[in-house]
Amino acid sequence: MEEKNLYAGIDVGSLSAEAVIISESTMVAYSIRKTGASPLRAAQKCLGEALEKVGASKDNIRAIVSTGYGRLRIPFADMEVTEITCHAKGAHFLFPRTRTVVDIGGQDSKVITMDEEGNVRDFVMNDRCAAGTGRFLEVMASALEADLANLGQLSLQAKKAVSISSMCTVFAESEVISLIADGYKREAIIRGVHESISRRIFRMTKRLRVKEEITFTGGVAKNQGMVKALEGLFGVKLNIPPEPQIVGALGAALIAKEKDFRVV
Amino acid sequence: MTKMSQERGIFSRLLSWTVRSPWTYRVLLPLIEAANLKEQTYAFKIWVRYLLWMMRQGCSRKRKVIWMSAFTPVELAYAMDAVPILPEIVAALVSYLGRAPTFLALGDSHLSTDVCSFYRCALGLVLEDLLPPPDVIVSCSYLCDGANKFFSYLSKKYGCPHLLLDPAYGNGQGAVAYVRGQLHHLLEDMGSVLGQRVNLERLREVVRLSNKARTNAERVNKARMARPAPFPGSEGLSYVAGMGFCSPGSAWGVRFFESLAVDLNNRTKVKHGYLPQERHRILWLHHIRPYYRNDIFEFLSSRGVAVCFEEANYLYYPPLDPDNPLDSLVKKVLSNVWRGPLERRIQAVLAMVRDYKADAVIHFSHWGCRQSCGGAAVIGEVLKQRGIPYMVLYGDGADPDNNFPGQTRTRLQAFAEMLG
Repeated sequence: MEEKNLYAGIDVGSLSAEAVIISESTMVAYSIRKTGASPLRAAQKCLGEALEKVGASKDNIRAIVSTGYGRLRIPFADMEVTEITCHAKGAHFLFPRTRTVVDIGGQDSKVITMDEEGNVRDFVMNDRCAAGTGRFLEVMASALEADLANLGQLSLQAKKAVSISSMCTVFAESEVISLIADGYKREAIIRGVHESISRRIFRMTKRLRVKEEITFTGGVAKNQGMVKALEGLFGVKLNIPPEPQIVGALGAALIAKEKDFRVV
Repeated sequence: MTKMSQERGIFSRLLSWTVRSPWTYRVLLPLIEAANLKEQTYAFKIWVRYLLWMMRQGCSRKRKVIWMSAFTPVELAYAMDAVPILPEIVAALVSYLGRAPTFLALGDSHLSTDVCSFYRCALGLVLEDLLPPPDVIVSCSYLCDGANKFFSYLSKKYGCPHLLLDPAYGNGQGAVAYVRGQLHHLLEDMGSVLGQRVNLERLREVVRLSNKARTNAERVNKARMARPAPFPGSEGLSYVAGMGFCSPGSAWGVRFFESLAVDLNNRTKVKHGYLPQERHRILWLHHIRPYYRNDIFEFLSSRGVAVCFEEANYLYYPPLDPDNPLDSLVKKVLSNVWRGPLERRIQAVLAMVRDYKADAVIHFSHWGCRQSCGGAAVIGEVLKQRGIPYMVLYGDGADPDNNFPGQTRTRLQAFAEMLG
């Protein structure tokens, strides 16, 4: 490939990093990996993997936009944009009728309202701690000795949820361990965890004027139990992207294309 | 006692002796004057001189010392020829100097960490014996309930009376007479505690000075309506707001606001903005900002977002009449828009948005402050209905350990991106 006709978005989150490559008209490749200790290394590897999938190199990229908590640590990016703007942009691209985005990432969760062109109109984020985020679920999965990827399926098997009252990740872990010791079923506890996070997110939405359609993004949107719990509270079906984890990176790539600020 | 605690005790006593000695401030004054303050406004120098004067007068015991809460008419202290000390302001200064964690740790041994960090820090300063002891404490029941618990404790600790100005919630019938009565009794009680009679002529003079400072502050605020914004909100929230609380009724206040008005009018004449390029104008709500080292305002500036005005410097009260000094102070108390129903604060916010041509509003939500943050959502709703972007920024004004730089940066950046 010799043409310089690609745009890249890189989302470096606290748990995972994603890279998305788009051409003028469509998404051509993406890559997901764990962030690890170095956001820069994760970004480089992720971008390299995505480029490899389409047989391209960095020379074929016209512009790169970084996002996520590690966005400031990517020196080869042309611009850094917050994940809030990028998730709105990505969700609008995938589901143009989206007016609200619920994003649950590794260390934060956010609700974003937007206009018909995908511009952010308002947003709220979780306050101060990692309660109600992907990290919270990860810790709970570990306490329950369950595979993170299977949490959703397990929770769907439960007829009833066990109430989880602690929202602090550390205290909730202790509470979950106590519930296991008290003989509660693992499935019911997981469902309780999902409902607890969902209630927290739903409460956040009350600070905004949430409109339909609602798109659920971020790695946690792969969890069917969470989707069900949130749909129950919102009372509507949520849009779930084919790969919810890359929506931020996709939005970043779209912004790179919009700006196209690199002089060729 | 271990060797370590003995050493700490000696250091603590030495620090207390140094801070409480009036000579410290005599020595500091020429040193600070000689230091590189060329870049600062002349008003800033007056603020520094005022602080040194306040501490020197308080420590030398040449004047009586009255501890007061912010929003208690400070004119009452000047009318008694006393020196007012506002612990919240001192705590903000200590936080600005990067020393708050030491005193917060001490304060936390007596107060819940849910209490406002300014009072926790101030309590730490009290426990280390770093402030001139009060002869009397005067506070008001508005805005901050925590303040009165704090002052009540201190009055027991120092063995001095705690006098309370406690107006009714609303401004209904009888409110004027009620507050006038309260202020009258307050002055009499203060006079009785301090062993002096209330001098009506002195009160008139104090109200005259307060009104003069108010007129100058009005000129400052008018100059700040200019586009581009001539003065940074970060400074408006520090020494300007500090002088707004501490100085009305003194010659310091007159000089300070006069100097600042002249300076800002010179800037607006040549359209000198404090940012190289102003893209958006923000109104900052709440009377405080984080005072410890942080990059909130630098970041906003880097994005061309000017904090053009702040609620802290809103002149909520009408001109004062020196011929009717007590009635003037009654009006000042009753006009307070942060007291009573939220509608008054909302109207003031809308007026500020209009007058300062603000594109958006940030409400700083200070940990532990129920008074201001309780209304944050309602104010946001009103502003959003009018299409004015609004964000609540969570943080802590005095405690750097309750600061979340990454999350704060993301919120601010997303807000700036939203403005375009």
